[in-house]
Amino acid sequence: MLSPAREILRFRSLLGTLTGRELKARYRGSLLGFLWSLANPLLLLAVYALVFGFIFRARFEGVEPYPVFLVAGLFPWLWASTALLEGSMAFTANSGLLRKAVFPVELLPTVPVLANLVHFVLALPILAAALVAGRYMGHPLSGWSALLLPAVILLQLPMLTGLALGLSALNAHFKDVRDLVSNLLTLAFFMTPILYPLSTLEPHPALWWAVRLNPFTPFTLAYQQTLFHGVVPDPELWLQMALVSAVSWALGAGLFARLRETLVEAA
Amino acid sequence: MTDGKAVGDAAAVEETPDGSPAIRVEGLTKLYRRMAPGAKLATLKSALTRGNLVRDLSPEEAITALDGIDFQVGRGEAFGLVGGNGSGKSTLLKVVAGILKPTSGQVVVDGRLAALIELGAGFHPEISGRENVYINGAVLGLTRRQVDERMDSIVAFSGLADFLDEPVKNYSSGMYVRLGFAVAVHTDPDVLLVDEVLAVGDQAFAHKCLRRIEEMLADGATLLFVSHDLGLVEGLCDRVMWLDRGSQKLVGEPRRVVDAYRQAVAEEEGREHREEKEAREEEAAAGGRNERRWGSEEARITGLRLVAGGGTDHDGEERYHLASGEAVTFEATVATDRPLTDFVFGFQISTPRGTEVWGINTGIEGMDPGRLDGEATVRLTCPELRLAAGEYLLDVAVHSEEGAPYDYWSHALAFTVTADVTGVGVYDPAHRWDFEGGVSWEDHRGPGSREADGGEEGP
Repeated sequence: MLSPAREILRFRSLLGTLTGRELKARYRGSLLGFLWSLANPLLLLAVYALVFGFIFRARFEGVEPYPVFLVAGLFPWLWASTALLEGSMAFTANSGLLRKAVFPVELLPTVPVLANLVHFVLALPILAAALVAGRYMGHPLSGWSALLLPAVILLQLPMLTGLALGLSALNAHFKDVRDLVSNLLTLAFFMTPILYPLSTLEPHPALWWAVRLNPFTPFTLAYQQTLFHGVVPDPELWLQMALVSAVSWALGAGLFARLRETLVEAA
Repeated sequence: MTDGKAVGDAAAVEETPDGSPAIRVEGLTKLYRRMAPGAKLATLKSALTRGNLVRDLSPEEAITALDGIDFQVGRGEAFGLVGGNGSGKSTLLKVVAGILKPTSGQVVVDGRLAALIELGAGFHPEISGRENVYINGAVLGLTRRQVDERMDSIVAFSGLADFLDEPVKNYSSGMYVRLGFAVAVHTDPDVLLVDEVLAVGDQAFAHKCLRRIEEMLADGATLLFVSHDLGLVEGLCDRVMWLDRGSQKLVGEPRRVVDAYRQAVAEEEGREHREEKEAREEEAAAGGRNERRWGSEEARITGLRLVAGGGTDHDGEERYHLASGEAVTFEATVATDRPLTDFVFGFQISTPRGTEVWGINTGIEGMDPGRLDGEATVRLTCPELRLAAGEYLLDVAVHSEEGAPYDYWSHALAFTVTADVTGVGVYDPAHRWDFEGGVSWEDHRGPGSREADGGEEGP
């Protein structure tokens, strides 16, 4: 289970180069280029804010202004979901590299995790601007607690990398995995308190628990607390995140290690 | 980056550079599973429980790509692999490179390895050649600084200075190979694996690559080389292995192995020619006529054979592959329904591209026909048919002295000729070179010197 981690750390400079390639290639030939890293989440945010804020006129308690609350949960979610979706396709998309070059294959699913983290970080100024605007409008929003963001990200990194490793190895053998992942991610999105605060579900204990036990939920709560509410997450939440991350890594990396030998032939 | 594959006693190995092999392959077997749709879940289960996809498969579920391969390549040695498509050459290279895992057996590579299996495999089409050099270099184990230091030399070698900042997707396949090879040879590999990549570039670049490979060999690098260019394999390699459907057929001195392989290919081609000929004869016997056969059928060609290897007494065997200079008999059987007094038998050899090589008939020879009745056999024997190596077609005809065809059969059969040395053209006369005065040769292997070649190794 640790061997993928060892390989990833050993070839970290190659990992950096490959992540750079991914980022450069993504917007090569597009007019707006890197601006899409900002535009994509911003447009999605506008859609959700419009649909829930104005059309459904959803009124959730304690999450004013709603668009800022959305940003705090949505941007990290975009990182996680895109990383897992692209990560699960890493071997099938790079089968040329896999079959023809001597290569530490662990890096391939790790690259989308890091590349999308860069996109997430690049979109952070939007979040900062939203926070500043919110405070200016008189809402008691986050301040210094936002500095805990890197810690939350670092905790989520093993979770996403481990899952990407396992899913990509599975997907090399069964192309069904990609479709499964994309549908599960859609489900997970609505089962995570991103569009609504968790407290909304308190009248429905079954649903509340279902959402609370979703492995993405501790991270979403932590992002919202540090970035929106201005609260330092309590030790229990930190522990939950660490636990989810460790278990996800163990499962994913273990699966990967099992399937590693047969990857090249299967992809 | 494959340094880690070296065995534990690598340090001891380095002290005895002559004795220790750079590549050691022992009992290597590689199975591929057949992709039967129903077997997928079962194979996943075995992959998950045992970490191996094929070990549990029954023989009909697996394809044997390599079967019990054993060989060693010494330091500084150039080792060639020949064999037909699907013989396992590329699989063997990939297993040695560490891309594929052996099903059983052991592969040990000592030293830094560069595999030119598919050049530019790591190139990203959307980004520039220069950026791709950094990435490809990193994949091959160079740090960014090392690539920086070598960039000028890489660019000079590739000859792509003007295109380096273009996205790689705009490159031609030749440019792709140039850049890929340039990066690979600048990684200072101890062991170089080359799989038929030289065929993609132009002649000048192929020569440049070969020179570079030879320089690297001279510096003590080890080469494992796969090519269908048998002359190149013979010229470059110290030893050659012939792989046939996954098994090692012969290992040893290049000339001997390559000749044996050439001979086997010619035999295979001869078998195909024979099958085709027999199919044509069956078709003809069933009354089939096509655009390659015409005539009044007053006389019919009922059979045609090539008898090779015998002398003038027709004791050779029927086959459709010949060595240049062998005795050959073209044998046709002819039948008529009613007696003929006006007839000529003729044979003509041509190349598949239509060049007439030699044609002869009884009329040209001045034979005056008497009577042809019932069945007859016609034999034309050449005690020494000195054709250059290649494929040839035979036309056979029986016609009137005026030239009106009774039965003209164009391309009635095909045969393959092999020769020690392939010159230009269709003729391969016995020949000899003599030199006097201020001329000398480093490697003189004229015709006739072949028998003097000793130093063969057993398989």
